[in-house]
Amino acid sequence: MARKTALVIAAAALVAAMFGSALAADTLADVKKKGVLVAGVKDSTPPFGSVDPNTKEYVGYDVDFIRAIAKKAGVKAEFQPVTSANRMPMLQEGRVDILAATMTKTPERAKQIDFSYTYFLTGQKFLTKVGTVKSLKDLEGKAIGTAKGSTSEQNVAKAVPSAKILSFDDYPQAVLALIQGKVIAVTTDESILAGQLGKLEKNPASKGKFEIPDVQISEEPYGLGMRKGDTNWVKFVNDTILEMEKSGEAKKLFDKYFAPDGDNPMKRGTFKITADERGIK
Amino acid sequence: MNYQFDWAVVTSGKYFEWLVSGVVVTVKISVVSIALSFLLGLVIAVMRMSRFRPVYWFAHGYLEFFRNTPLLVQIFFWYFGSYKVLPDAVNQWLNAQGFEFAAAVIALTIYTSAFIAEDIRSGVRSIPKEQMEAARSAGFSYVRSMFYIILPQAVRLTIPPLINQFLNLTKNSSLAMTIGVAELMYQARQVESYTFKGFEAFSAATVVYVGLSFAITGLMTLYDRKVLQPIKVR
Repeated sequence: MARKTALVIAAAALVAAMFGSALAADTLADVKKKGVLVAGVKDSTPPFGSVDPNTKEYVGYDVDFIRAIAKKAGVKAEFQPVTSANRMPMLQEGRVDILAATMTKTPERAKQIDFSYTYFLTGQKFLTKVGTVKSLKDLEGKAIGTAKGSTSEQNVAKAVPSAKILSFDDYPQAVLALIQGKVIAVTTDESILAGQLGKLEKNPASKGKFEIPDVQISEEPYGLGMRKGDTNWVKFVNDTILEMEKSGEAKKLFDKYFAPDGDNPMKRGTFKITADERGIK
Repeated sequence: MNYQFDWAVVTSGKYFEWLVSGVVVTVKISVVSIALSFLLGLVIAVMRMSRFRPVYWFAHGYLEFFRNTPLLVQIFFWYFGSYKVLPDAVNQWLNAQGFEFAAAVIALTIYTSAFIAEDIRSGVRSIPKEQMEAARSAGFSYVRSMFYIILPQAVRLTIPPLINQFLNLTKNSSLAMTIGVAELMYQARQVESYTFKGFEAFSAATVVYVGLSFAITGLMTLYDRKVLQPIKVR
């Protein structure tokens, strides 16, 4: 009997531990108390989040935003790799404090979690073999690759209903399928495609054979994800990134990762971090 | 956690249709792979028992290799790896057909056949060796004694472990989603990513897998009881 009671208590403690952190409503206070900010980031999606093969450190645009936020809060940043499919549960279960994982703000997602202001603006395009795709028409009835659980999948299904969508676990596999001709294009946000194209360009075997044609099917505002109703924390993060825009740090970060002569050439255009509601309205 | 359950998501409408189409694909993969892996398993088992050394070595190597590598690796091998060794024309033809389904069936068939072959072999070993001797002295060749006398008895004894392998195969078919085959798990994840109702979607998938498993067990048991047992040699 005593053993049974002990078991029940242990089980209850386990459940409490699982949900405990998820219930805590003030992550800012929590993070400051722990001295550590745990962030969910991508680990194979340069230039946003990846592991530097030499230093084994996380690097990328998303990662640097987290480092800046951690610095502002006066705590250490710790990184936890997430995928497009598991990032929302990871956040909701309290295993990470914030998501900086190339996540597009959408009204459906905004019902589940809170987003920061847009910290990066991109659009969904296609990565293809040179000359194969000139317009959306060229994609009709063809197989198109993307990653599971992403908005890319839903957008392309709407834009090219006759296409056959093949969702892989992550983008490198989708790109491999493209190289082997199993799909005619890989579709997702231009920024991610630019990173994959950069890798293809570095490889002599595929150099000059792939391109991102000027075919855009959606606007994708990226937001940092936080648990619903975590008001103090959301405000702290928003204030921090607005400040980064004002001080020019945000632009510097953009230029660091998306310079025209770098691995991921992109233009920032007129984009600035502002108190916007892109994507969630 | 104040999670709002919404079972309507998976019991009607667009998402229900997705799940149903996933069930259809899962059943298709499973049925085709079960049939093929049983036949291939029979052949490998016979080869494994052959006294002709090269055949024996081939079967032995096949068993050890495919039993001892992860299924996920094998699926990737057939889907991505085959590209390197096949001629371009074949690759283009395969890609035009939608190679995902075939690659999943090939991987599942070969992987499961290795286990089935071992189960059948242990069934054969439980048949008294006098049966083979009697068959041979009655003028049957080795292969004919196997197929007419020994295997029919051995397969009956092998039904329970075979059920296990078929159940495993059905559940293993969920790994096909990693190469973009739109089977049940793929669709469940799809529903989750559109609706964030992961709990409902995966519960529905669980119910279907349990149902399929019961159906396989039931059918095999029925077959055993109605068809095989009455003609079983005592």
